[in-house]
Amino acid sequence: MGKSYLGIFRMEFKGELQYRAKAISGIATQLFWGLLQIYLYMAFLNTESVDGFSITQMASYIWLGQAFFAMRYILMGKNIGQSITNGNVCYKFVRPLNLYNQWYSETLGQKVASTLLRFPLILIIAALLPVGLGLSAPVSIPALLLCIVGILLGVCMSTTLSMFIVWLTFKTLSEKGSATIISTISGLLSGMVIPLPMMPQAVQNVINYLPFRFVSDLPFRIYIGNVGITDGLIFLAIGFAWLVLLTILGKLLIKSALKKTVIQGG
Amino acid sequence: MASIIDFTDICKTFKVPERTKGKWSTFKNFFARKHKLIHALKNVTFEVEEGDIVGYIGPNGAGKSTTIKIMSGILTPTSGTCKINGLVPWKNRREFVKNIGVVFGQRSQLWWDVPVIDSFELLRDIYKIPKDEFDQTLKILDKALNLEDLLGRPLRQLSLGQKMKCELAGSLLHRPKILFLDEPTIGLDAVTKLAVRDFIKFINKEWHTTIILTTHDMSDIEALTNKIILIGKGQILYQGSFDNIKSKYSSAKTIEVEFSKDYDNVELDGYTVVSHNKKYATLKNLPSTEFHTKDFVNQITKKYEVVDFQVSSLSVDEILAKLYKEFELSER
Repeated sequence: MGKSYLGIFRMEFKGELQYRAKAISGIATQLFWGLLQIYLYMAFLNTESVDGFSITQMASYIWLGQAFFAMRYILMGKNIGQSITNGNVCYKFVRPLNLYNQWYSETLGQKVASTLLRFPLILIIAALLPVGLGLSAPVSIPALLLCIVGILLGVCMSTTLSMFIVWLTFKTLSEKGSATIISTISGLLSGMVIPLPMMPQAVQNVINYLPFRFVSDLPFRIYIGNVGITDGLIFLAIGFAWLVLLTILGKLLIKSALKKTVIQGG
Repeated sequence: MASIIDFTDICKTFKVPERTKGKWSTFKNFFARKHKLIHALKNVTFEVEEGDIVGYIGPNGAGKSTTIKIMSGILTPTSGTCKINGLVPWKNRREFVKNIGVVFGQRSQLWWDVPVIDSFELLRDIYKIPKDEFDQTLKILDKALNLEDLLGRPLRQLSLGQKMKCELAGSLLHRPKILFLDEPTIGLDAVTKLAVRDFIKFINKEWHTTIILTTHDMSDIEALTNKIILIGKGQILYQGSFDNIKSKYSSAKTIEVEFSKDYDNVELDGYTVVSHNKKYATLKNLPSTEFHTKDFVNQITKKYEVVDFQVSSLSVDEILAKLYKEFELSER
């Protein structure tokens, strides 16, 4: 059972590893963006901290975000959208497998592979930058461990959210539109555009409990010590509950969309 | 023998938005969209027996692909019942597809970036084929299709013919009982086409696989199938052996005659003159006239001085074109 999905995961993983030029240009972009964002906020803020979120912490937060960009970005597997709009998806139907799980393994495989190709080098370079501009060490060993757990939850959450793009593509037959809607919402609510600790407290009170922040915000805040160990554990539990709930919801939505599917042409 | 596919009274209706023409129509359609129903299949009923090779033919848009998609569990029909291998395809999809193989000639089921053998190994995991059984099957397929140099190369580097060979092999790794081939020879050169045909025959004989094949290539039908199903405008028009249809139409002959001198007018009882140009004429026998070479020679040499003549029957394609025309299926 699991072996088939693991096989799909491995296949996509291997496929993604072939694109070295893509990874190198990705790393360059991420480094540039990281620096740009940090300088930008430094220029605007002109203070040592925002609500207890120091510039040094912000730099680490942004670097972690850039290093794990491939994981955070809500995007379905690269061939899925196209296969739905051009009908190639029919081959997915003739396999003795669950369709949602097939897409999930595919997307997860690509996300993990492209993240693994990018993050070590970005983290090393960011760590070599001067203090205040670069990546600082984690506040404690338990924080680091919890951050790793948070990242694993994040990559699953990101994949689960990506499945809603698959669903929306089935509904609208527009791959780009569906991806844009969902990745824009999640980009804003997961701290990709503005680090969440810099948002107004009232907004944070809501966003902190939405599923999107578990994609990236939470693990990085645990790393820099902005969220303590106890709070971190509580939030991880909330995140896990969201993951289960949204995965079930995604499965149900896709199942009902598939019932109405018509594969045209040829 | 028992029937393996039982297709009874299947109807499939699609609801499509209707676009009206005229000024403001795009604007109007945006708010109030009219739908119309398209009946892709109307009470389609047929049976296929185990071990058959069935040719499923019809003009473009007749409902062939819709039928294949229903039979392979991709589409759910609007009404009707269908039992294949004892299961309802769209109800027990995951159980059902274990015993079928599908090749859509214009699509690919293998992974684009990785060597073909990696795709095959993933299919092995997906269908849970035991290792030794997989190796044995692959050996047979390799021998029949000459896959050896192809397996190590990524799919994107293969030619269309090589790709089709790999697609066929990929659909047979789990030794399905039924194989659906949707235009398997489309775009292939003559040599590859013959190789694919030989392979289909081989699989049918060796593994007793039931094969349903759609194609526009009538030589495929002639070379492979022992039964054809003709569909047009969503309805079954004929099912049975292809030879029956052939013998029905083979009595129609075309005779090209060359005369030794110019004639102004050519006429012959029981024949129509299709064309006439001085020394040359083309005749066709009327349905009432049964063609016999001896009678024809006697009859025509009495009236004209004949140098040479040539008789030909309808080609398979012409027979089919005639059939489509008879059923008023040809698109205008």
